[in-house]
Amino acid sequence: MGFSRRVQDQCWVDEAAATVSRQVFVDDGVFQQEMDRIFFRTWGFLCHETEIENAGNFVIRRLGSAQVVVTRDDQGTVHAVLNSCRHRGAQICRSDSGNARHFVCPYHGWTYDRTGKLVTTTFDQHFPNGFKLSDLSLPKVPRLEHHKGLIFGCWDPDVASLADHLGEFAWYLDPFLARSPLGMEVLAPPHRWRTRCNWKVGALNFAGDSQHVLTTHAGPLTLDPVRAARAGFATAAENSFQVSTDQGHACTLTYLAPGLPAEAYQTHPPDLEPLYTGITPDQREMLKNLRVIVGTVFPNLSFIETQVGPSEKAIIMRQWSPISGTEMEVLSWVLAEREASPDYKKEVLRKGIHNFGAAGVFEQDDVELWASATAASNNPIALQYPYSFHTALPYLQKFEANGKWPGRVYRPADTEVAQFEFMRQWNRWMQAPA
Amino acid sequence: MTIQSSARPVDTLLYIELQRFLFREAKFLDRRDYQSWLALLTDDVTYRVRIRSFRDSGAAETDYAVVDDGPVELRKRVAQISNARLSRAENPPSLTRRLITNVEAFHQADEADILVESSLLAFRTRSGIPEGGFYIGKRHDVLRRTGDGFQLACRDVRLDQTVLLEGALSILL
Ligand code: FES
Ligand SMILES: [Fe+2]
Repeated sequence: MGFSRRVQDQCWVDEAAATVSRQVFVDDGVFQQEMDRIFFRTWGFLCHETEIENAGNFVIRRLGSAQVVVTRDDQGTVHAVLNSCRHRGAQICRSDSGNARHFVCPYHGWTYDRTGKLVTTTFDQHFPNGFKLSDLSLPKVPRLEHHKGLIFGCWDPDVASLADHLGEFAWYLDPFLARSPLGMEVLAPPHRWRTRCNWKVGALNFAGDSQHVLTTHAGPLTLDPVRAARAGFATAAENSFQVSTDQGHACTLTYLAPGLPAEAYQTHPPDLEPLYTGITPDQREMLKNLRVIVGTVFPNLSFIETQVGPSEKAIIMRQWSPISGTEMEVLSWVLAEREASPDYKKEVLRKGIHNFGAAGVFEQDDVELWASATAASNNPIALQYPYSFHTALPYLQKFEANGKWPGRVYRPADTEVAQFEFMRQWNRWMQAPA
Repeated sequence: MTIQSSARPVDTLLYIELQRFLFREAKFLDRRDYQSWLALLTDDVTYRVRIRSFRDSGAAETDYAVVDDGPVELRKRVAQISNARLSRAENPPSLTRRLITNVEAFHQADEADILVESSLLAFRTRSGIPEGGFYIGKRHDVLRRTGDGFQLACRDVRLDQTVLLEGALSILL
């Protein structure tokens, strides 16, 4: 199936019907166009600052379909450069992470410094007279910006600032990134697993698929006494809500049902809560009695904060890294406040991965169903029947705006409105002139 | 639990007994006879699965847990995957075969404990992935002597993988 045919296809997201073509979840032509029009044009998450804390630390990450090395130089500045030698293309770095003074290409020995600058080849003397070696430095990710510990990059030098891209959504994000003075810390390298489904399936699920929770996750919801209060969860929908913002970011906030005994759910750890001085009183109120927040930063960074033990709240960060139309690689990090005690961090990590890691009791069931949906959708008959987002339709125009909460706020939380808003934004990017 | 791999190897008779334990235990898991399997665990059992990173030679090897369960979490995990109503990933159940080889066993400072190292090859097929996939790694088990045999007190599986290739891990290794 040709790429050019896809480009003309204008009917992926049917706004009037609230349906989305299955093609966008399986087709490699659509995938190529996503690369060109989204992943090489907008901000992509690279890593958390605490993953490359010291000079010389590096991690390998993907930005669009290109692999980059994210490094910290001696001055503490972060750089991201293409992981492919300017000579004949070898990967200059073949470790997943580490510390390096120089990057020496394993093929013919060209040597780059921590900023990606070419310092020497083994045959400098044979270059033409007056040749400037630094002209063969590693291609830099032209835009690199930080937001509350997160490092983002963009291949488009003319992209609007990261702050513009995050927009109002930062208000929802920041209480999970920088509520305490020292901010958050990544507790371990990311879990990585491959799943045979399109990256958007994960992004949508975290934007706000409240409807899958009780069915898909019957296991952990039944077996965990703290979560087992199903009734509490259902009624909680009344004071819970979804949010979408102009850039396509979306999240879903689920609160404690009014009237439940407070000890039914731990909210935030009592000894950490006094440290939450980095957020506004309104954000503090947002956190109060919050059971779960789950959200997606367009296009493919997601997060969830949820209770993982009697006194532990875990923040999980996710990247749904596109591999092809039908495959993604998931990266999953667990975070906690830097001020937290070593014991607390250890328990948050242990319980965080028990629930949401590569073998997580939540994850295993999600992933299985996402792969099965992808396989079952990828045939000419199935492709004629678009996915249903109908429960978004009655709510699309019924949002609160300019209230206490930024963005468009939709109630209740168990519709598909946040997911459909994500798809509408995706569609705008895809239809934008090349 | 600290593990002393350099300690005294066990004698042949005990070696055979330990190997028999591993084979029987693998059989319970392959048959999904979780009741019998749980009976082989100590009350304070710990179960870890670690995944590795590619690092420059010379750089410290890093691995990190994708499972780090204590007895409570492990029993919950089993309760989920053994119950068709409570699991999507294991309903229909995966078909599995665990091959255990390269067994070595060593006495520990605590006379009741024996460290048993082995290589694991777990093959798994499941609905939707008929061609199946492998999990390959090294197990460090601590078996504890009880009245009439042994129980598993600690299992640490170090996979020779950096990325789990077939989605999230829903079987026990
Ligand atoms: S490819 Fe890197 S030095 Fe030749
Ligand atoms: Fe889920």
